[in-house]
Amino acid sequence: MTTNTVVSVNGLEKTYGKANERQYRALKDINLTVEQGEFVGIMGASGSGKTTLLNMLSTLDVPTSGDVVVNGHDVTQMRGNQLADFRAQEVGFIFQDFNLLESLTAEENIGLPLALQGTASQVMDQAIHEVAATLSISDLLQKYPSELSGGQKQRVAAARAIVHHPAILMGDEPTGALDSTSARELLDLLTTINREQAMSVLLVTHDPFSASFCQRILFIKDGEIGSELRRGDQDRREFYQEILNELGTFNE
Amino acid sequence: MLGKLALAGIKNRRRDYLVLLAGLTMSAAIFYMFANLATNQAFIKANAAIRSANVIFGFGAVLLIIITVVYLMYANSFLLSMRQHDYGLFMMLGATRKRVGQLVFLETLILGTVATAIGIGLGLLMSKFLVGFLLNLLGLHLVHLTSFYVPAILATAVLYVGLFILASVFNLFRLTRTTVLKLLHSDSEANQPQVKPGRQFIQAILGILSLAVGYWALANIKVLMMSAIPLALVTITIGTYLLFKATILMVIRQLRRTAWSKKHLNGFLLGQLNFRVYNYTRMLTIVSLLFAMALGAITVGSGYHRQLPRVVDHFSGYSVALHNVSGKEEKLIDQLHIAHQATYTQKRQGKVVAYNAAEFERQPFEQQRFSKNGQKLIGYDTQSLKTFKKSGIKEMDFMALALNGAGPYAPQILSASQFKQQKGTKMTVTVIRVTNFTRDMAVLKKLNKIETSRFVQPAYMTVGSYQSFEMMTGFFGGFEFIGYFLGIAFLAMLASCLMFKILSGAPGDKQRYRMLFKIGVRQSKMRQGIAKEIGILFLIPGIMGVIDVLFGLQMFKPLMASPMSPYLGIGSTFLIFIGLYVIYYFITLALYWRIVLPQATND
Repeated sequence: MTTNTVVSVNGLEKTYGKANERQYRALKDINLTVEQGEFVGIMGASGSGKTTLLNMLSTLDVPTSGDVVVNGHDVTQMRGNQLADFRAQEVGFIFQDFNLLESLTAEENIGLPLALQGTASQVMDQAIHEVAATLSISDLLQKYPSELSGGQKQRVAAARAIVHHPAILMGDEPTGALDSTSARELLDLLTTINREQAMSVLLVTHDPFSASFCQRILFIKDGEIGSELRRGDQDRREFYQEILNELGTFNE
Repeated sequence: MLGKLALAGIKNRRRDYLVLLAGLTMSAAIFYMFANLATNQAFIKANAAIRSANVIFGFGAVLLIIITVVYLMYANSFLLSMRQHDYGLFMMLGATRKRVGQLVFLETLILGTVATAIGIGLGLLMSKFLVGFLLNLLGLHLVHLTSFYVPAILATAVLYVGLFILASVFNLFRLTRTTVLKLLHSDSEANQPQVKPGRQFIQAILGILSLAVGYWALANIKVLMMSAIPLALVTITIGTYLLFKATILMVIRQLRRTAWSKKHLNGFLLGQLNFRVYNYTRMLTIVSLLFAMALGAITVGSGYHRQLPRVVDHFSGYSVALHNVSGKEEKLIDQLHIAHQATYTQKRQGKVVAYNAAEFERQPFEQQRFSKNGQKLIGYDTQSLKTFKKSGIKEMDFMALALNGAGPYAPQILSASQFKQQKGTKMTVTVIRVTNFTRDMAVLKKLNKIETSRFVQPAYMTVGSYQSFEMMTGFFGGFEFIGYFLGIAFLAMLASCLMFKILSGAPGDKQRYRMLFKIGVRQSKMRQGIAKEIGILFLIPGIMGVIDVLFGLQMFKPLMASPMSPYLGIGSTFLIFIGLYVIYYFITLALYWRIVLPQATND
């Protein structure tokens, strides 16, 4: 493993169902790496295993076999509190359904990861305001999630995901519940974060438009990685076409 | 088919249902026990102590019904919160509203009927064993106490099944009027309560004023008489409600601005409380009042009973009066710590008893001396023979020294020579006053037993402070019994109310804790967070209830005159009560943890 690899997955398998029941192999021998500062997309249809894969990487689920190393931590060897602390410190999450706590203001939601680490309140205030400025949500900080639009909610969620400078930002269909304008804004934001903060981003999506913002795309089908596309020097539109073409053949 | 689905749904949540069923069963059992005691005419008529406490029983019954209604309301909302997602699903699958409505109706009714039936059975058993045990503990012997009493069974069944029918109808309306989508996504969005400082300030002032009026009314029950109780009940309820509404939100809001709220889960805790407490204001008000009543009932009941030895010297100038002291009695008397002892010779004839003046010259009859207001015993006096013949001789204490089955003989004090010639049955009477009643209680009891077996006295009369003590013990023991009984029943129900109210919020919280789990909050932190949140929800009405009781006890000051005091020794009563309350807290907490805490998906 080189020092600038953020995620490295080797021979990852996930089988659901107990030995005496009908078993279902959701993931079969997955191998992948994400380099420092890379923007990687994982594409696949529903049921292809992409969310299962993300859950393994983010330790929400436990693999049946194989290794997952994130930022130098072998997450398959971790238990209980280690897992929680790992998620809290190394991973930033954006979910399709926002997962904001509606009993807290935007500011409190964003500050939560820092509060969990016991950060001093001045440091925390500064971090929150910095990230809010980056995502241009400074004027929303005192509002509750119920007072925000979908796009605003997702930006607050993004702010929460990066406020503690995690090693990797993971998104599970983050644009899934957004209208097209909000979706484009969010994806632009993710690109900005990726470029300016050199933060690795791993995006799981079935939407070619979202995927076209990535530098590299892994196609997953029936629990296996089928093919890989690199954007290289193409502009986003050309890459979008290439993705559409690839999907056309990949799903055959 | 739908019926099968519904059953499967219940099976999946059988532990939650078990809690609900257990709660309802206990409630029905308690109600049966109370109804059994309160309505059993033979029992009430046979026990003087209970008969005089009839008003208390009636008062208790009304309170118990109110609590039962509130309790069933919360239990029902817990039931509904568990089931509405399933019902929504059925409707989405194409079940008609009518069919789902039938299901809801039947489910509520079946659960209620089963709970009532088991509850009455349990109540029968509890009446048989628990009530007897409680009575033994208090040293009371009540006759005609049966555990099986048909009118009580009917009363319980009618009340509970009736209430469950109401609940079923209510559920029917709730469900058939809500849209399918709302049912499916029943985890409601939290409403952020608005804070209007001006209005809240006025609310706070009004709240404190009403509380002040209520407490003042209780303290001045002597002046206001019976009107004090309803006045206090209304003003304290309003005051508590307003005060909760005005202050708790303000306090939480202030706390959220501090640096403390930015540490760990504190901010989340405050956020949770912020919208919970607001929804819970009415609930917390009721619970704090019930808490106060339960605690008050126990405190006063046991206070009377426990403090009786303190006032026993007020009852009579002597502890026991013994006639024709036998050898056995002599030995017992030797064991006493005697403050005063005197023996007089009597000659009884017709309706008259004669005494020898010479004996009174030698050993004047000691009388109690009270303070000017007549409340406090300050010592013992003797009168000159001349005055005694005029006034002391007519005192009940002295008259009671010569009794037959119908009442006292008329006393006469004759000069030594006259007395010698007086005819009649000659006997002696020895009056004894001990220095410390509590210390010599056991010996006094034996002496009294011998005395009462040898000589008759009218049933309505007591001789000496020991006999008064025995009678009062029976009376106040009855008080204490009712106090404990009502107190424990109230506590059981109020804590269950709070439990169900909190538990019905659990499904919504489940999602929140799932989110926290995802962003990497340790299990232990979440556990602590929940413990704090629920702890505070239990603590608020607890504190308010204790304050209510401390003020409310003022009401009993006229009844428990010095040296008794409603405030004496309340520490231990409070401890027992709070101990039981804490047990409820831990049960709620354990259930909440189980419902809410997310588990990592390991298989």
